[in-house]
Amino acid sequence: MIRLKNVSKTYPNGTVGLQNVNLHIRPGEFVSVVGQSGTGKTTLAKMLIAEERPSHGQIVIGGWDITEIRRAEIPYLRRQIGVVFQDFKLLPKKTVYENVAFALEVCGAESRKIKAIVPQALKIVGLTAKADRYPRQISGGEQQRVVIARSLVHRPKIIVADEPTGNLDSLNTREIIDLLKRINDFGTTVVLVTHNKDVVNELQRRVITIDRGLVVSDQEEGKYVL
Amino acid sequence: MKTFVSILRSLRFGLQNFGRNIWLSAATVLVLTLALVSVNALVSLNVLGQTALAALRSRIDVSVHFKPEVDESRVQTVRIALLALPEVSSIQYVSPAESLESFSQTYGGDQAVAASLSEVGANPFGAALIIRGRDLTGYPKIMAALEDQQFASLIEDKDYDNRQAMIARLESISSRAAFGGLAVSGLFALIALLIVFNTVRVSIYTHREEIGIMRLVGASDWFIRLPFYVEAVLSSVAALAVCAGLLLPFLIFAGPYISHFMGTPDADLLQFYRTHAFQVFGLEFMAIAALAVLTTKAAAAKYLRV
Ligand SMILES: Nc1ncnc2c1ncn2[C@@H]1O[C@H](COP(=O)(O)OP(=O)(O)OP(=O)(O)O)[C@@H](O)[C@H]1O
Ligand SMILES: [Mg+2]
Repeated sequence: MIRLKNVSKTYPNGTVGLQNVNLHIRPGEFVSVVGQSGTGKTTLAKMLIAEERPSHGQIVIGGWDITEIRRAEIPYLRRQIGVVFQDFKLLPKKTVYENVAFALEVCGAESRKIKAIVPQALKIVGLTAKADRYPRQISGGEQQRVVIARSLVHRPKIIVADEPTGNLDSLNTREIIDLLKRINDFGTTVVLVTHNKDVVNELQRRVITIDRGLVVSDQEEGKYVL
Repeated sequence: MKTFVSILRSLRFGLQNFGRNIWLSAATVLVLTLALVSVNALVSLNVLGQTALAALRSRIDVSVHFKPEVDESRVQTVRIALLALPEVSSIQYVSPAESLESFSQTYGGDQAVAASLSEVGANPFGAALIIRGRDLTGYPKIMAALEDQQFASLIEDKDYDNRQAMIARLESISSRAAFGGLAVSGLFALIALLIVFNTVRVSIYTHREEIGIMRLVGASDWFIRLPFYVEAVLSSVAALAVCAGLLLPFLIFAGPYISHFMGTPDADLLQFYRTHAFQVFGLEFMAIAALAVLTTKAAAAKYLRV
């Protein structure tokens, strides 16, 4: 599903984001990416959605070599990958429903399709009852669930979540992780970037540890080792 | 179908953006309107200048006064001979009686003139021909033909009222006015350009979150850009409407004064706009919309980075 071959990323200012990373993530896997701050986890996530390009190496997603992806093709890649990012917020002037619908609207989906899909996505994240609220009228955990609902509307094969529990307490964190697990149970590949030791240890799934741009460990049913 | 849905949504987004930044939109419409008004002032000046020149040119003629003893048949022979010249467009015959009549109409009130006329007793005027050329360049030829032996002996007096000096002066005034108008229009266009550029910049800034989300959920570049173009075209339409809305009452109100000032009913701007509205406003709209759209394109390229 996701394959990185000798991928390195050096930012224009000379900062090294990643060095010589080789990875293969199979369809349906739930992979946690851990590591200390500034080691290149977000860099990795951004390269998966072509937000950043690798300086060296090759990235193939679902058989599609996106290493040299053209600008005009990026939207098609992004419709196949659900994105849940730290700084990727909801629009405050739109309701929960409208925020989720927005992702379909701007991709040209027909109204009929939007009316069918949005309630489904809200049901998956358990927010049907709060569809008409504005983001400020729901909790942080609920907001993050709306973001996940939004990432689901294109029925992506992959979800990339960069610290989705960053600002949440343990209860809300657990809810989000459970939600991601359920989504993974439907067959969606999940790449979860996190700092949270408990989350990783409890998940008992594959863990990739990055340190200073290098993959230093890659374990099935791993633990948070740092 | 999908594209159609997207275009409709872009239109809606563009309209919403226009409404949400209403003061910014108003400023944009205002400068675009100023640019259009100055262009229309230029157009009007040009129309009036051309009318005045045409009026002057149409009054150019050569009056040939024959000696009183030359009878009408001789004069008509001369007329036919002159009509054969390619430079001549028309010749009007004025009989001695008509000459006398128009003379007494002009000077009828003058006691002394009346007295001297009655003293002469008989009609002192000969026949006259009023010759109109096809254009200004033909007159020297016509004058030369009149110098010819066979005509010269019959002619008492020629009067070439060429108004050359007046035409030259009017031409220079109207070309200077056109230049001034062009400079003012250019200035307004430049200001409009800067304001539109800034409007797009601010609009992109206020929508940065929305744009960021659109990108990450897979909206295409053109879908992100199109609303800004919609806004640009919308501003142009609004500016044209405001400009036309100002121009029309002005022309209705001031039209009679302008005609009076110009001394000819031909100087009818309202009539000009009535017959040329489609071309004039069409061209102006295309120009102002092109300016707004191209500026938007430049601003989007700079600030949108898509
Ligand atoms: N756009 C950029 N330009 C230059 N350097 C960057 C850029 N983005 C990230 N970096 C640098 O690249 C390195 C890796 O950053 P990255 O954001 O991938 O770390 P991270 O593992 O996600 O950290 P954190 O856990 O704090 O989110 C850091 O040294 C960072 O300063
Ligand atoms: Mg990060």
